[in-house]
Amino acid sequence: MNELLVTCTGLTKRYGLKPALNGVNLELGRGRIVGLLGPNGSGKTTLIKILCGLLQPTDGAVAIDGQPVGPYTKSIVSYLPDRMYFAGWMKATDLFDLFADFYGDFDRAKAMSMCASLGVTPSDRLKTMSKGTKEKVQLVLVMARKAQAYLLDEPIAGVDPAARDFILNTILTNYNEDGTVMISTHLISDIEKVLDEAIFLKDGQVVLHNTVDAIREQEGKSVDALFREVFRARNYEGGIF
Amino acid sequence: MFGKLLKYDFRSMLKQFAFIWPAALALAVINRFTLSSLESASATGETVAAVAMMVFVSIMIAMFVITLIFVIQRFYKGLLGDEGYLMHTLPVRPWALIGSKLVCAVVLTVVSTLVAVAAILIIVSPVIDLGEFFHVIRWLWDAVCGGKNAANAFLACVELLLLILLGMAEGYLMLYLAMAIGHLFNKGRAAMSVAAYIGIHVVVSVLLSFTSNVFGDMLYNFFDNLFWGKHDYPWQAVHMSLWISILVVAVGSAVYFLLTEYILRNKLNLE
Repeated sequence: MNELLVTCTGLTKRYGLKPALNGVNLELGRGRIVGLLGPNGSGKTTLIKILCGLLQPTDGAVAIDGQPVGPYTKSIVSYLPDRMYFAGWMKATDLFDLFADFYGDFDRAKAMSMCASLGVTPSDRLKTMSKGTKEKVQLVLVMARKAQAYLLDEPIAGVDPAARDFILNTILTNYNEDGTVMISTHLISDIEKVLDEAIFLKDGQVVLHNTVDAIREQEGKSVDALFREVFRARNYEGGIF
Repeated sequence: MFGKLLKYDFRSMLKQFAFIWPAALALAVINRFTLSSLESASATGETVAAVAMMVFVSIMIAMFVITLIFVIQRFYKGLLGDEGYLMHTLPVRPWALIGSKLVCAVVLTVVSTLVAVAAILIIVSPVIDLGEFFHVIRWLWDAVCGGKNAANAFLACVELLLLILLGMAEGYLMLYLAMAIGHLFNKGRAAMSVAAYIGIHVVVSVLLSFTSNVFGDMLYNFFDNLFWGKHDYPWQAVHMSLWISILVVAVGSAVYFLLTEYILRNKLNLE
């Protein structure tokens, strides 16, 4: 087992000429909850997709547990995408079958009990479920695994504040404590209290990566306040007046 | 892992076709009565035959179109659309994802063809004496392929079957490759897939006509020298031409498969 869970070196991704990630260097250890923070379009989703193998970097390299992205890294990464990824004809239980077949770390009993506590009926067809319920099913699939890395892309973006706490609570009570959870979001205040580390992503570059405690100590302000400061400046940087 | 992928691909296929196949057969039974009542209602034999022909053609086209749409959708949506987020994060290699879709597509095509043939036989059964029909086929088979020809004819049938199956696979792999190329673009992916399909067709036909121009005569002379004067010349020629076709189709399939796999492995670009 490699001490570093995730390593990115000089990671660059361009869509056409526009860079979405621009020379990202990043090292993540184990057993942390990390916030991947940045405004829309800062490259959060692109970074997560590269770590999952859904996008290929234009330049640079990625290693997860010391391995390049491939079947092994996919078997230890649990990914919550920013969209629904299942076929409508399936039931939640069909998806549990699928996860149990492909991921050795999927705990079916845990999935069923999570469904019960989230109020999801797993024998319902996904097609008949509301958007919120589908999101819950997806969260159950992701968190019922005992993965080494949980990459959660905007898990709380589309839901009301009450449900946010509910989702965060589900994440916190279910993740594998040896594993690292990476949560991408722009809603900092909602997740600040659970974070160990924060990464600020701006225009495809890491502008800050530190523990939350160190940020509070050095900057004398909350991560949320620092975030507003760092990203507010952008509006006044040149441009047309 | 490949077996598990197959399991899920077959399951999603059966979900759809568990309805479509029986529906086609049920429709055939209904049409059968319409046709027989048409016949008894003193319509001319020609009218009945024309209607039967129309039904025959429409069933074949319908089955063909439904199967093709399904095969395209399973690849486009299942691997390059939102479902791709799930499939490409499973701990499997890209070749397994493509292979599983392909096996499923070929099996689907075979079963759909059988269902379409069964439906047609059901429909025409009041008009055509099926016993007689099969009798004639049997007679033809015996005349051409019976006796000392049996072994060769059987072998040729096996080769033909192999060629047909490989041909299906090649056709689908060409579609897969076109979609894989199309998805590399950030905009207008469907249009780019169509353009890529046309492009591949052009390239392949140029290559084929080039090779047949250059090697065609050579090949013909080679066979002519090889077999001329031998007593089983026709059969040898049949086998040889079938095997050459199989080879050509197999090479095409392999090239499309490898290119598609390369794109999904190294250039995956899910939006």
